[in-house]
Amino acid sequence: MIVTFRRLLTGQDSRQGLWFLPLTIGCLGFLWLLIGVDGFRNPQNLLNLITQAIPLLLVGLGQMLVILVGGLDLSVGSVVSLTTAILALDAPGYVLLPTVFLVAGLIGLINGLAITRLNVHPIIATLSMQIILRGITLILLPTAGGVIPEIVKQSVSGRLSVLWLAAAVFVGWKLIHGSRFGLHLFAIGGGVAADRQDTASKYGVADRRNVVLAYVLCSTFAAVAGVFLAGRIVSGDPNVGLLLEIDSITAVAIGGTQLTGGVGSLHGTIIGVVMMTLLANGMNLGNVSAFVQTIIKGSILLVIVALQSRKKIGL
Amino acid sequence: MTAAVKIPSSSKAARETLLSRAAKVPPAYFVFVILLVTLWLTRPQMININVMGTFIRQVAPLGILVLGQLLVMRVRSIDLSGAGVVLIINYVISSGILGDANAGLLVIVALAIGVSLGLVNGLLIGKRRASAVLVTLAVNTILVGVVQFLASGKPPGNVPDAFGDVYNVKYLSLPSPVIFWIVLTGVMAVFLSRFVFGRHVSSVGENPVAAHFSGVPVERTVIIAHTIAGLMAGIAGLVQTSSLGVGSIRFGADLPLEAVAATILGGVVFGRGDGGVWGPFFGVLSFALLFVVMTSFGVPDAGKLIARGLIIMLAATYYGLRTNS
Repeated sequence: MIVTFRRLLTGQDSRQGLWFLPLTIGCLGFLWLLIGVDGFRNPQNLLNLITQAIPLLLVGLGQMLVILVGGLDLSVGSVVSLTTAILALDAPGYVLLPTVFLVAGLIGLINGLAITRLNVHPIIATLSMQIILRGITLILLPTAGGVIPEIVKQSVSGRLSVLWLAAAVFVGWKLIHGSRFGLHLFAIGGGVAADRQDTASKYGVADRRNVVLAYVLCSTFAAVAGVFLAGRIVSGDPNVGLLLEIDSITAVAIGGTQLTGGVGSLHGTIIGVVMMTLLANGMNLGNVSAFVQTIIKGSILLVIVALQSRKKIGL
Repeated sequence: MTAAVKIPSSSKAARETLLSRAAKVPPAYFVFVILLVTLWLTRPQMININVMGTFIRQVAPLGILVLGQLLVMRVRSIDLSGAGVVLIINYVISSGILGDANAGLLVIVALAIGVSLGLVNGLLIGKRRASAVLVTLAVNTILVGVVQFLASGKPPGNVPDAFGDVYNVKYLSLPSPVIFWIVLTGVMAVFLSRFVFGRHVSSVGENPVAAHFSGVPVERTVIIAHTIAGLMAGIAGLVQTSSLGVGSIRFGADLPLEAVAATILGGVVFGRGDGGVWGPFFGVLSFALLFVVMTSFGVPDAGKLIARGLIIMLAATYYGLRTNS
C-alpha cells in the first residue's frame, strides 16, 4: 500500500511514470479556470477546447509509441504540414486521402528502417526527414492556400470533433494497453533504457519489426492530425505543423513518459495534452500575452522533467 | 617458416588498419572535397579567398556553436538551447538595458550569461539526471519567451559600433570571425587531446558505466561539458550579434539542429566516444559551401532544404552501416 502510494507520488519504479503530479496540477488548473475565468464555462468554449486538443493528442499518441521504444520522431510536424499541402492539391478527395496515408506510411517506414536496419540514431534520422519534408512541402505549396476536398471539411465540422476525440483515445488505448504490440513496445523500451538493446529479442519479441511499426504508426497519426487540421483551417498551410514535434514531445513528457523508453501510459499522454491545451486556452481567455505563455510552458516542462527520476545521464 | 607465416598476416593486418582508418574519416571531408571540386569545375571564379571568406564568415557563429555541441554529444548528451542563448545575448547587447556599458563589459556579461545557462543545463542533466533533450528544449523555450516578452515583439535596437568594427577587420584577407573560429577550434582540439578533461570526455562517451568504475567523475564531466557548451553559445551569440549589427528577435531558430547536423557530418556519433574537432569544423564548412554551390546553380530554398536533409541522412547512414559490420 505504502509502496503503491510512493510509486504514485514519485513515479519511481513505475511503468507508468510520474503522471499523478501533472494530473493534480491539471485538475487544480481546470477548477481555477472554471471558477475564476468567465469565458471558460460556456459550452462553446469547452467544444473549442476539444477541437484544439485533437491535433496535439493525435500527434502525441504517435510520438508516444516511438518514445516508448526509446526513440524520438522529429518529423511529425513536417508530416502534418505535408499532409495539408497534399490535401490542398487540385484533385478529388478519394485520390488525395489514400495518397496522404500512403505517403505518411512510407515516411514512417523510411524512418523505421533507417533506425533499425541502417543503425542511424532516431534524432538524426527523423531530423533529416524533417528537413527533407519541409523542402518537399514548400515545392508543393509555397504559401498557405488551396482548396480542401469537401469530404474532409464535412468530417471535422462542429460536434463531429467529439467523435474524433473518442476514436483517437480508443485507438490509442487499443495500441498501447490493449494489444500485444503495446506490451512489446514496453518490453523493447525497457531493454533500451537499461542499455541492453537485445533484451526483448532474447525473450522472443521481434524488436526491429515492432520498432518500424511504431514509426509507421507515428507518421500515420501525424497524417490523421494533418487531415483534421486541414479540415479546420479549410486550406493547406506549409507552416501549420511548425514546432508541433516539440509540442508533442513536451505533452508526452509532461504525462510521465520517459525519453529513455519503456515507461509511460496512455492516460499520462492524455493528461499532458489536456494540460497544454488548458494552459493555452485559459491564458488566452485571461489575456496573458503569448510571450508569457511561452515562458510558462517552458517552465512547466522544466520543472516536470527535473522531477522525473531516472538512472541514465544524457539524452 | 614462422617468418613466412608472419609477414603476410602482419601485412594483412596493416591493410585492414589502413582500410578501417579510411572508413573512419568523417563524411564531412568527402562532402567538402566533392563540393569544392564541383564549384571549381563549374564556377572557377568563385574559388577566391574574398568571395569564400564572405560566405564562410556567415557560418562562423554556427561553427563556434558546433564546438560546444560536439563536446556534449561526445558525453552522450545534447544541447538544443543554443538558439535561446544567442537570442538573449543579442537582446542584452542591442537593447541597451545595461545603460551606457562599454563593449568590454557587454562581452563579459554575454559570456557570463552563456556560462551560467550552460551550468544550469549541466546541473539538471548531470546532477538531477533529467533528459538532456527536454531540459535544453525547455531552457530554449523559456529564453525565447523571455526575449520576446522583454522586447514586446519589436526588434530592440542597434548594436554598439565597436562590435561591427571588430567584425569587419581582415587579416591576410581572412575575415576576423573566421580567424577567431579557427583559433577557437584549435584551442578546443588541444584542450581535448592534451588535457585530462579530454580523456574523461572520451571515456564517458565510450562507456559511462565503465568510466564510473574506473574513477572518472562522470557527473562532473557532463556538467563541465555543458558549461563549456554554454560558453561557446555565448561566444556564438557575440559573433552573430556583431554580424547582424542590429537587435533582432527572430533568427537562429534552426541553429541548434543545424549544429547537431554539422556535428554528425563531422563524425561525432551519439552514444559513442569517438569524433574529433576538425571533422565538425569541415561539417560546418560543407554547409557553407553547399549554400554557395546551390545558390550558384539557382536552386530555390526548398531544394536547398532537401539537399541538406539528404546529406545528413547519407552521412548518418554511412556511419550506421560501418558500425553494423
